[in-house]
Amino acid sequence: MTIAFDIVLQVFILICAIAAITVRDLLSSVMILGAYSFFMCLMWAQMGAVDVAFTEASVSAGIGTILFIAALMKTTRRSRD
Amino acid sequence: MFDLVMAKYNFWIYIVLMMIGFYAMIAKNNLIKKIVGINIFQTAIILFYISISFKRGATLPILTESDMHGHTTIEIAQYLNPLPHVLMLTAIVVMVATLGVALAIAILIYRKYHTLEEDEILKEAK
Amino acid sequence: MKILGLIVTMVTGALLMYGTADMPDWGDPNSPANSRISPRYIEKTEIETATPNIVTSILADYRGYDTLGETTVIFTAGVSCILLLRRRRKG
Repeated sequence: MTIAFDIVLQVFILICAIAAITVRDLLSSVMILGAYSFFMCLMWAQMGAVDVAFTEASVSAGIGTILFIAALMKTTRRSRD
Repeated sequence: MFDLVMAKYNFWIYIVLMMIGFYAMIAKNNLIKKIVGINIFQTAIILFYISISFKRGATLPILTESDMHGHTTIEIAQYLNPLPHVLMLTAIVVMVATLGVALAIAILIYRKYHTLEEDEILKEAK
Repeated sequence: MKILGLIVTMVTGALLMYGTADMPDWGDPNSPANSRISPRYIEKTEIETATPNIVTSILADYRGYDTLGETTVIFTAGVSCILLLRRRRKG
């Protein structure tokens, strides 16, 4: 496992997690959460858990983001925090 | 000291991720933000479980051709631990099922109160 | 509320970081999680299931009832979503 690639991935994941809960626009927050899921999936693929990685990429990053966007279309995308 | 940091810093990053999700769950005011926090929390826990199955110098848990048909004895340290992968595969699917139910309840709350902010809902529900 | 949440989060994180001192090192091949049960699966999966992918053989063969229960969970979630989100007819 390459240490440098590992550290770059972990920094990206931390930035995405902090951005997802601080952005005021809910649609942007959900999109950043999808990017977070894909970075997490890269990290699992690098750890050797390929089955978990492609399940995460299809189920959590794909269907989860679609569910979030469908819920936001039925409600509002504005928030106060 | 340097050895300790190199051996344990991955666990500290998982704990920081878990703290971000936990803070969003208990301190954010918007319901969708709380659901985002739940998602981050669960992903951090799954990442922790995947990381305890990792072995240095091991490859994927798929048998190679020579181990499959040959008569060589299988080297245990050559393959990753497959058991946490299976359990976390189940956990990811359950995570998406709970996400769907949580979003359905959020839609119902918005239909009744026309807002997603927690304090406004509590003020209106009194 | 935000200050209280921050304090609770920091205390929980500090306790968990104190707990990592007793964890085995990251990527240790001889840690307890890697040395008790999983060698049996790795050794016997080719003889008992004839599948090269060990994860798939555990998921669908050794733990088939577990996967059946997982599909029950998804079915329950889908039915509850339909029941929550349907529009009730007036009158």
